Amino acid sequence: MKKLRVLLVDDEIMIREGFKRLFDWEAHDCQVVGEAADGMEALAQIDALRPDIVIMDINIPIMNGLKVISVSRIKHPDTAFVIVSGYDDFSYCREALRLQITDYILKPVNYEEFGSCIDNLKISLFEQRVSAAAEPEKLEERTITGITRYLQEHLAEDISLSVLADVFHLNPQYISQLFKSEIGVNFLVYLTNIRMENAKKLLLSTSLSIADVADRSGYGDYRVFTKVFKKSEGITPSQYRRDFLEADEREGEKR
Amino acid sequence: MLRMEIALFLVMGFIACVYFSAGRKSTPLHRTFSVLLVVVLIHLLLDGVTVYTVNHLDTVPRLLNDAVHRLFLGSMVLVIYLFYQYIAILVEEETGRPRHLDRVSKTFLAVAELGNFLLPISYTVTPQGNYSSGIYMLIPYGAVAFYLLLCAGRLAINWKQIARKKKLAIGLALLIEVAVCVLQGLNHTWLISGMGVVLMTLSFFLTLENPDILRAELTEQKMSMLYLKSQVNPHFLYNTLDTIRIQAELNGDKKVADLLMRLVDFFRLSVKVDRQMVALDDELELLEAYMELMCYRYPELQCEYDIDPELGSVQVPNFILQPIVENSLLHGLKNKGYRGTVRISAQKTADGGMEILVCDTGSGFAQGKKASIDQMLLSYAKHPAKLEGNSIGILNVQKRIKLLCGREYGLAYTENPTGGVTAHLLLPVHEEMAK
Repeated sequence: MKKLRVLLVDDEIMIREGFKRLFDWEAHDCQVVGEAADGMEALAQIDALRPDIVIMDINIPIMNGLKVISVSRIKHPDTAFVIVSGYDDFSYCREALRLQITDYILKPVNYEEFGSCIDNLKISLFEQRVSAAAEPEKLEERTITGITRYLQEHLAEDISLSVLADVFHLNPQYISQLFKSEIGVNFLVYLTNIRMENAKKLLLSTSLSIADVADRSGYGDYRVFTKVFKKSEGITPSQYRRDFLEADEREGEKR
Repeated sequence: MLRMEIALFLVMGFIACVYFSAGRKSTPLHRTFSVLLVVVLIHLLLDGVTVYTVNHLDTVPRLLNDAVHRLFLGSMVLVIYLFYQYIAILVEEETGRPRHLDRVSKTFLAVAELGNFLLPISYTVTPQGNYSSGIYMLIPYGAVAFYLLLCAGRLAINWKQIARKKKLAIGLALLIEVAVCVLQGLNHTWLISGMGVVLMTLSFFLTLENPDILRAELTEQKMSMLYLKSQVNPHFLYNTLDTIRIQAELNGDKKVADLLMRLVDFFRLSVKVDRQMVALDDELELLEAYMELMCYRYPELQCEYDIDPELGSVQVPNFILQPIVENSLLHGLKNKGYRGTVRISAQKTADGGMEILVCDTGSGFAQGKKASIDQMLLSYAKHPAKLEGNSIGILNVQKRIKLLCGREYGLAYTENPTGGVTAHLLLPVHEEMAK
């Protein structure tokens, strides 16, 4: 798997330096290829460098980060955007989600935890590749897409490497390596990721109880589910749902 | 008749004492009421004097009699004018509409006072008592009618926008004054105008200007200022602290970077004041950030947690643990040079509730202090919400638990056999249930 190219956008040099030097990009198969301090520069750099990942602050000079994303989205649909913001404000988050950014993290950034954000990115980049590839693929790629499709369909069940090994008649070790080499993350990270994505979708689009959402996302015990969800999203499942409902009401009032 | 004037004067004097000894915000409304109280007192004094002089026409010199009468009625016009001002400000504050007739009312006041001091005066003698009369009498009557009509007009026009309580206060005061004026007009010898003025003042004092309400206003103002203080552009604070943190980490100082991270965490969590209830885990997160910083500042301070993991998602009132722990530190462990342990534990109780204990090894209660704190926490409703320095005190915690969870829950203190005190927070277990 080739290294992911990263562009850093923040108007503060210290924040960029921090990202550059305090996060172990090498260990995560990434490489910082450029920096930008304002919206115009960011647009130009995205065009010139064609990065895979853009780490983007919202509140930057000349053109704000959300605007930059919506403009370059059209030209570079495959680029993944990660918003890093000090604005602990859900309305920004909502607008950001509408632009289909890949992740939203809050300052202060804990560089040790930033790795899980990169893992999520790799998974969504992988999914983009799968859905974009229309023509017949090589054998290994078909294996991994087969496995991930199977996981998507069975994520509510008890699932493990050995279950996958039985279904696909493969060595569990080999499957584990396949995840590493094809997606860049290990199996468990991938499974948790799709389970959380499923849970978020259910929380917002249905009125299922938390326990039912947990159950349909592969967690028999909703307490365990709540804990995992909080670790991955920063808030509890019911808070996540409530925040969206409240933001909806607030927007309704404004109109 | 003189006895009534003396009684009224004493009543007003008492009210003035209570009013001026209570703290209050400096607003146009309260300033007007203060002036009104003083003028009413002077008016009542003159009232008493004229009641005496008018009935001793043969012994009191005519000139003196004229002078006190003119002063008396002059002060009455002023009192009624101030009433109008008071009501006008009240309505203005309520509706936000400016008062258009301000200049008219001031001009009329000047004309009325001028007429009062220049027009001829005479005295009518009757077997029931004497009273002053003459054309100059038209002035106060006219003024009273004019200002009362203005007041009634303002009240009627803005009737819908005024809060019910204030509407009633103004309406009642006007009714009393009109009734007294009509009676005085029909019976010249009753001399009860002073009573009307006093009753009107009294009705405002009891409804809108009593010390409890003034104090509540003052506390509210302080609270909102404290709130604002914590709201001073938090983004600036986070961003700057974050820059410093990154610089520290780049310099290889991981310890400082971690501390700054915790400080940012603490601020970020503590400005989330808009939620009334939060998960216990959120409360603990804030507390951990706070305690980690305190333990760093005082290395001999230790903190232990023993939380039943099943209680993590229980909903509790926001911001109840940190004030209790801060209290333990400032009033217990500080006296021991911050040497000791705070132990926070949360367990289910036998009857399906939850008890959070904050146990410290501090200096314990001073002599008699426990009884007074017990008393305060027991009769929490009687104590006004007061601010202890810059922090939310334990009384506030008690009030919010009682209000949000129910009267059977709350905060209590016990003394540890080995020294120090333990705070017991009894709370219900409302989980973020899977409905």
